[in-house]
Amino acid sequence: MALLSVDDLVVRFRTHEGTIYAVNGVTFDVEPGERLGLVGESGCGKSVTNLAVMRLLPKPAGRIERGSVVFDGLDLATLPESDMRDIRGRDIAMIFQDPMTSLNPVLRIEEQMVETIRAHRKMSVQDARKRAAELLGMVGIPRPESRLRDYPHQFSGGMRQRVMIAMALALDPKLMIADEPTTALDVTIQAQVLELLRHLTTDSGTALILITHDLGVVAGMTQRINVMYAGYIVETATTEELFATPSHPYTVGLLHSIPRLDEVRPEELVPIEGTPPDQRREPVGCPFAPRCAWRLPVCWTDNPELIPLEAGVTVKTSGPEATHRVACHNRPTAAEAEAGRPLREGFVPAPPPGSVIEELQPTEEVVA
Amino acid sequence: MLKYVVRRLLAAIPVLFGLSIVVFAFVHLLPGDPVAALLGQHATPELREEIRIQMGLDKPLYEQYFIYLNQLAHGDLGKSVINNRPVIEELGRRFPATVELTAAALLFAIGLGIPLGRLAARFPQRWPDAVVTVISLLGISIPIFVLGYTLQFFFAASLQWLPATGRINPRLGLDVVTNLMLVDTLLAGKLEWFADALLHLILPAIALGSIPLAIITRITRAAVLDVSNEDYVRTARAKGLAERRVDSRHIMRNAWLPVVTVIGLQVGGLLAGAVITETVFSWNGVGSYIVNAIQDHDYLVVQSTILIFALIFLVVNLGVDIAYAFLNPRIRYT
Amino acid sequence: MTTPATTVGTVAAPRASRGLWGDALRRLLRNRPALFGLAIILLFVVLAILAPVIAPYDPLDRDPGQVFKPPSAAHIMGTDKQTHDMFSRILFGAQISLFVGVVSVVMGLAMGGTIGAVAGAFGGRVDSVLMRIVDVLLAIPGILLAIGIVVWLDRGLLQIMFAVAATNAPIFARILRGSMLALRESDYVTAARSIGAPTGRILLRHMLPNALTPIIVASTLALATAIIDVAGLGFLGLGPADPRTAEWGTMLTGASSYYRQAPWIIFFTGAAISLSAIGFNLLGDGLRESLDPRLKR
Repeated sequence: MALLSVDDLVVRFRTHEGTIYAVNGVTFDVEPGERLGLVGESGCGKSVTNLAVMRLLPKPAGRIERGSVVFDGLDLATLPESDMRDIRGRDIAMIFQDPMTSLNPVLRIEEQMVETIRAHRKMSVQDARKRAAELLGMVGIPRPESRLRDYPHQFSGGMRQRVMIAMALALDPKLMIADEPTTALDVTIQAQVLELLRHLTTDSGTALILITHDLGVVAGMTQRINVMYAGYIVETATTEELFATPSHPYTVGLLHSIPRLDEVRPEELVPIEGTPPDQRREPVGCPFAPRCAWRLPVCWTDNPELIPLEAGVTVKTSGPEATHRVACHNRPTAAEAEAGRPLREGFVPAPPPGSVIEELQPTEEVVA
Repeated sequence: MLKYVVRRLLAAIPVLFGLSIVVFAFVHLLPGDPVAALLGQHATPELREEIRIQMGLDKPLYEQYFIYLNQLAHGDLGKSVINNRPVIEELGRRFPATVELTAAALLFAIGLGIPLGRLAARFPQRWPDAVVTVISLLGISIPIFVLGYTLQFFFAASLQWLPATGRINPRLGLDVVTNLMLVDTLLAGKLEWFADALLHLILPAIALGSIPLAIITRITRAAVLDVSNEDYVRTARAKGLAERRVDSRHIMRNAWLPVVTVIGLQVGGLLAGAVITETVFSWNGVGSYIVNAIQDHDYLVVQSTILIFALIFLVVNLGVDIAYAFLNPRIRYT
Repeated sequence: MTTPATTVGTVAAPRASRGLWGDALRRLLRNRPALFGLAIILLFVVLAILAPVIAPYDPLDRDPGQVFKPPSAAHIMGTDKQTHDMFSRILFGAQISLFVGVVSVVMGLAMGGTIGAVAGAFGGRVDSVLMRIVDVLLAIPGILLAIGIVVWLDRGLLQIMFAVAATNAPIFARILRGSMLALRESDYVTAARSIGAPTGRILLRHMLPNALTPIIVASTLALATAIIDVAGLGFLGLGPADPRTAEWGTMLTGASSYYRQAPWIIFFTGAAISLSAIGFNLLGDGLRESLDPRLKR
């Protein structure tokens, strides 16, 4: 049984600027001990999905509109707040992007760690402090006993992220969500922190959801990857398969925008044209269509479902044999994926249908 | 930490000198003839000359300034031209009254302002926020004397709930020891006298505290809202802490920083406001001393008192800066 | 609210921008409290201008026998001790308060702005000397500096304006210097400099508009304080040279002796002072919110 089952999750934000369609029906599973990557551009809903899992959406704007989040047999979407609080930090831990701002600047590391432990375990302050020192040692912070007395600003960025990891692992959570844990760090530190994260979660059997915009980061870290775009999962596969046979134009685009240094004559980078869609509009058709080189007329009006690459197979949603699935009307072939563009003779991306244009033109503001 | 305190102290020194120059200028560079102001139009030229020399006005300006500084250093603020009594004596006698009033006003402003600000921040854009916003708008917009007389009219004259003026019922015959009425009544061992002094304090404290109340409320609201959006508050929630602990240790502990700074800055406004409040409530403090001196053209008193108030303000803010450093480890440990 | 427009083919079209000031104006027009404040201010301005037309009496006219008369048909806001008509005095008082308030803020702006701009532009020793002076002035709390100055220079409208200006000047100086310094170091001024934009242009097109927004907000809020401070000086007997002048604060000097007997004097005059201060405070807060797009509600 899956540890975490997210089913048809829909999250919207109601703001002064109107509704933001942040997550539009996302379904995925995570097995115990599994490491899953969640990849996509900023604003694609990957962070929001996980904040929704933790029920930490900014109030009162953010709401789970639909769907369920079943963790360990409990539906988190409807769990009373006090029960949810027990799960946070104890069963599901989270570490955030910016270690500079994620630790409280006016409290000693000791207090921040001890309060976490004591929020969930009946333990004396002395014992909790001992445990905290142990954890700091475990994440590779020298002289943990004395560093406990320090304040966050006395640590470097990488060291702070280690503190965050130690704090997240304090209660042996079943699931750890790491939201861009290395984005704010120096490149040289990134690898160290990732390695630490991998090694510690493997040792403790903690499942990991690694959120990142960087396919390079997930490549060595995770067993499986969900590619997200505009609040949808557009492709899901084991890491190996995703890199071997990327089958969604967006995934192809992502892979082609990373420079490859392992090739003698590096191929040209193919950037993805355009910018992500405006999520203040209710999505119509495939969200990637406006930027897609492979689009067909149907892409403008019909959002494809996430279906297996090969028809007729039994779908496995998690684990090492998870089925490779993709949401696309016109999948790039292996050769096209290699080239980064459609190779079919005379193929041109379908122009936007006239009716849609007419429908939207009048709302365009006239610039005086 | 020590280095920080020393640095703050050193930074205050040029301000002190500047202050003495400004006040010296006020006192000694009056447009027109200070001797004439002192003696009136009809004094004989001989008398004028004698007074001039007596006041040291025949010496060069810089020499006058150093004489003035020397006097200041010895606590000599000069003598009142009205009754020839040393200004410092009268100030010392009246000072406790002003301290009592401003302290009460500050307590009122903090005690009400912080809860109101937190309430508004808890329900942003909802009705508690709107009510608090209106209260703070009125607080900064209604002048002290208007609020003072309005309070007197309703709560003293009409409802007769509270005394309108004065610090204590004079018929009680209280012996003035410290001239802090709340202390003196307790020293006298009379609880009902203490209650009487307390009742006298309520209206002036509210009138004087209204502006700091408005400002503290606003800054608390803004600080709590700001801090609530910080990543570390999200971290605290993600750790599964109880909401009460998130509020007290993570939100308020950080929100205090700007609030403390602003509270320190309010002390200046309170001292200035005391001048008007003491007039409205016939409160025999330093403020009403200034106003009497203005009416009597006793300008030395006015300027000396301004100097003293500015000094107090500087010292208080020095204290607040140090308190701030204590609350903020980023300053304490650098 | 306009629906954000998008074209399907490309990108979310950004909301049509009318530049810094256009956007700010649009946000201001959507800010109801600010509009309310503006309405109050305009009302007072109109009343002040039309005072000679509207006022039933001359503010210095006496109506013998009518000492401390409560509001009536003849005197809709009653009369004071000297038998003046309160309504007329409050109308003419608006002229003085608004005029003195505006002039003193403008004077304060000129004084503080010069100090701040010089300090910010030159930096170094000039900056530290000027800022020490500002520190000294800021050490004398609020209206006390004004009291000291008026006592020094003697009572009179011009003296009051100068005194209130002097209390505002250090605040303006700090704001302007702060934003100039911050801007000098900011990335986009560096960027403008690096593409070879001439210094004058950088100052005018890039630095000034951004340094201006906090100044505009501060001046509007300072108008509220100025009106209250001027009234406070008047109340303390440091008002216009002629104590009979219809100045709001001066009208309340000595109110201790009659507020029980003639509360309407305090209510109407107090309402006039407070309302005009409310107007400027509301407008100032509204300007702050609309001029600073980062400050979303």
